[in-house]
Amino acid sequence: MREHMDTSERLQQVFRKVFQKDDLLVSASTTAKDIRMWDSLTHLELIAAVEEEFNIKFSFSEVMQFNAVGDMLVALSRKSGEI
Amino acid sequence: MIFNSLIFLCFVVVTVIINYLLPERFRSFFLLFCSLAFIGYYNIESLLAVLVFSLFTFYISRNIRGNRLLYIAGILLNAYAVIMFNYFFATRQGFDFSYAAISFNVNSFIIALGLSFYALQNISYLTEVYFGRWQPELSFKNFVLYNSFFPKVVSGPVMLPREFMPQIDRNVITHERLAAGFNRFLLGLFKKMVLADRLAPAVHSIFDFGDANCGLTTLAGAYLFTIQLYFDFSGYTDMALGIAKMLGYDLKENFNLPLRASSVSEFWRRWHISLISWFTAYVYYPLVYRLRSYKKAAAVAGILATFLISGIWHGIGITFFLWACCHIAYLCFELLTKRMRSGLSEKPSYLFYKLAGIFIVFNAVSFSNIFFRSGSLSSALLMIKSLFSDFFPAGWLHDFIAPLAVGGHQVDEFNFYISIFMAAAFLLFERRINRIANSGGFSFYYTTACVLLIFLLGIFSNGERFIYMQF
Repeated sequence: MREHMDTSERLQQVFRKVFQKDDLLVSASTTAKDIRMWDSLTHLELIAAVEEEFNIKFSFSEVMQFNAVGDMLVALSRKSGEI
Repeated sequence: MIFNSLIFLCFVVVTVIINYLLPERFRSFFLLFCSLAFIGYYNIESLLAVLVFSLFTFYISRNIRGNRLLYIAGILLNAYAVIMFNYFFATRQGFDFSYAAISFNVNSFIIALGLSFYALQNISYLTEVYFGRWQPELSFKNFVLYNSFFPKVVSGPVMLPREFMPQIDRNVITHERLAAGFNRFLLGLFKKMVLADRLAPAVHSIFDFGDANCGLTTLAGAYLFTIQLYFDFSGYTDMALGIAKMLGYDLKENFNLPLRASSVSEFWRRWHISLISWFTAYVYYPLVYRLRSYKKAAAVAGILATFLISGIWHGIGITFFLWACCHIAYLCFELLTKRMRSGLSEKPSYLFYKLAGIFIVFNAVSFSNIFFRSGSLSSALLMIKSLFSDFFPAGWLHDFIAPLAVGGHQVDEFNFYISIFMAAAFLLFERRINRIANSGGFSFYYTTACVLLIFLLGIFSNGERFIYMQF
């Protein structure tokens, strides 16, 4: 559970850094619709930053299925389980 | 058989009635037959081309999984089809084009050009199957119905396999769906015949005569073309969606109030949605995914590739290339100033920011459409030159209206004002009108209003073709 909390906090920091908004709050249910700057032009910049932070690589089909922050959390916990 | 021609209306009425009366399991066979008949009506060569390309794509799709060579061959063949058909249009007229044993002549070009929409669906089908996201279709009938269903074969919407194929054998027609389809069809007919075609003469007069008009007139011509293109193409889409619904299938929405977009990236999420989502899925994302470590440069490369290919898809020529360059420049500008603009939009003057955004986007899109509409680079440059010179010459009020109100008589001016009034009123109340057109009940007032306006104000005589039929 603690690890999960850490993951979401770290993810939140990545979002704040990429979108340059220090008060940005993200939860598992946050989608691209909730963050004005999150669109197809910035999606992969965000993905690259998440990959860098967690030192992992997402596959193309994983990236295409990220509709909400929750999807990223699930993929991240699966990847950390694999490691 | 153009969508707003009498023969097409008869074809639709007969198809809808027979399809409704048929048992559900026979409907897909019947609709396939009608679709092939629709294509064959233009000419037998187009029908042959559809069958040959379909047969080839269908058979390679069954062995394509993991076979890169076969996948590339399939993509190249279909991409070649797009280029071949568009190249054919680029030469425009008086032309015989021989491809293997099939000879296309000028009378056959309309449907042949529609095949560039058809080919996009084949490419998406091959890609989905190759990457294991979709099982190869076992029935050739279902596959051909997917890529050639007649309401969408000429100008889209472009459907992905998962969006259309699951519907094929579940053809459900209820009275509510029939009424909703009818309402939508009527809306499309209204947009085409009353709004788009009434603006066509003014646009034609500004773009096609090569006269040096004053800046204000040229600006009005560019604005009117953007509005005409929107009503023409979204009207076509409404008709396609309406017919498909009456025949038991749902097609994808292609427009979502695009002229209200306050950024160009938002515009592309609202305009020709099915095409841009095709390009996003199969060109933009795969490329940017590979280059993602380069951050913003990756997105710039993605925009560049997407719009250059989209430009070629629309037609090979310098004007479409420059149209694409405009949108590349707009989107790169938006990407690089995103943070700054995001800060602006959160200020208290949000409404002002939004309205200013809508105005700027409309101007930017209209400017790019000068290239899109102009027949040649020289006429596009002439228009741009006149945009920036002599904006308010002496007697501008008269000179401004005269070239737009084609004919020169007072009644022509009056006619032109009616067209402008209708278009403006529609754009203002568009959301409300769409809501009525999408409702599932038969409305006496709505139907009467549409039919009356079409008969009173619609253009019947010149049989304007739909602009997007050429692509």
